Amino acid sequence: MADKVHDVIMIGAGPTSLAAAVYTSREDIETLIFEKGIIGGLAAITDQIDNYPGFEEGIEGLQLAEKLQKQAERFGATIELGEVQSVKKDGDVFSLSTTSGELQAKTLLIGTGSEWKKLKIPGEDDFYGRGVHNCATCDGAFYRDKKLVVVGGGNSSAQEALFLTKFASHIDILIRGDKWKASDVLVDEAEKNDKITVHFNTTTDEIVGGDENKVTAVKGTKDGQETTFEVDGVFVFIGLKPVTYFLEGSGVELDEYGFVKTNHKLMTNVPGIFCAGDVRSGATMQIAAAVGEGAAAALSIREYLENYQREMIPNGNGQD
Amino acid sequence: MSKKITVFTTNTCAYCAMVKKWLDSKGVKYNVVNLDENPEKQKEIYEKSGALTVPVTLIEKEDSTEEVVIGYNLARLASVV
Repeated sequence: MADKVHDVIMIGAGPTSLAAAVYTSREDIETLIFEKGIIGGLAAITDQIDNYPGFEEGIEGLQLAEKLQKQAERFGATIELGEVQSVKKDGDVFSLSTTSGELQAKTLLIGTGSEWKKLKIPGEDDFYGRGVHNCATCDGAFYRDKKLVVVGGGNSSAQEALFLTKFASHIDILIRGDKWKASDVLVDEAEKNDKITVHFNTTTDEIVGGDENKVTAVKGTKDGQETTFEVDGVFVFIGLKPVTYFLEGSGVELDEYGFVKTNHKLMTNVPGIFCAGDVRSGATMQIAAAVGEGAAAALSIREYLENYQREMIPNGNGQD
Repeated sequence: MSKKITVFTTNTCAYCAMVKKWLDSKGVKYNVVNLDENPEKQKEIYEKSGALTVPVTLIEKEDSTEEVVIGYNLARLASVV
């Protein structure tokens, strides 16, 4: 049994929760944020963020994450490093099973964001961390003057490939479809870069290693023909999936893709559980939007807690 | 009991920052080897970890044995630091 009931526990310390925490903490709503990975989320491992307002020259993802964290903590929010394993309604409160024991809260904010999808091809798991990567800012330095494949045709693929050109001698970008999904600005920059070659209509079929247990090649199919790229490493950016495993059994409704459904106040079908940012159904997957949703969710949480204090907890299903 | 802890990092690695934050929160002292500034150390850390990734935390123990923790793995770090 938990020894106290928190006003709000936020699950995930990405931009969504950190922005929400600025609002809740400033209003003396006692706020605990739980993070199992990186404070700042995927934003923190992004090399350079040029589309977040207020930084005319752009800002490094890690630096933005640190600023968001400091601002939330300045008003009294507490960040705990650990994992929330399950959530359940327990009378008038929510009980959370965590790596730090059982915790209780009057309200919850789900701000877990999303994580990288896998290719699910032979060799991917065998060489993960030893030639197969999802974090260019972490692992790019191991590929000075080496050849790389980057898989994916979205913004992350283009941006991370550009970052990797600081190290790699050449990068082949493999895109399954016949065009980019990335923004024109990034596409233009990537296609102008002498170190990058873009291959459309190219699937990634197998990652192959050599005697030293390192990646030596990527096999793919280009325009129906088998093709081999002799490279030293592969960076995979083929899209994101929502992080919701801890909600199993909680009663929180997900959409057909596994994202959390909310109403216009960012409340789920379980009254008192709110959701914002990339994990929310309909999210735009932008840092600026995640921050905005965090602020909006914080205001809804405040309103809910005001009713909670008056013992007027809504009984509706929350789906307006 | 740990004798010496070294965290291998790069300038842009957010997971490395998290390992350092965690060690700081536990009051654990450690050295940092930045692979951007010391690229010659990459071979050494690959030989110890078998991984082409950072962070890698190397724990040299009193009995001269070593533990290597790859990535930001709180459960592993907590058990060996």
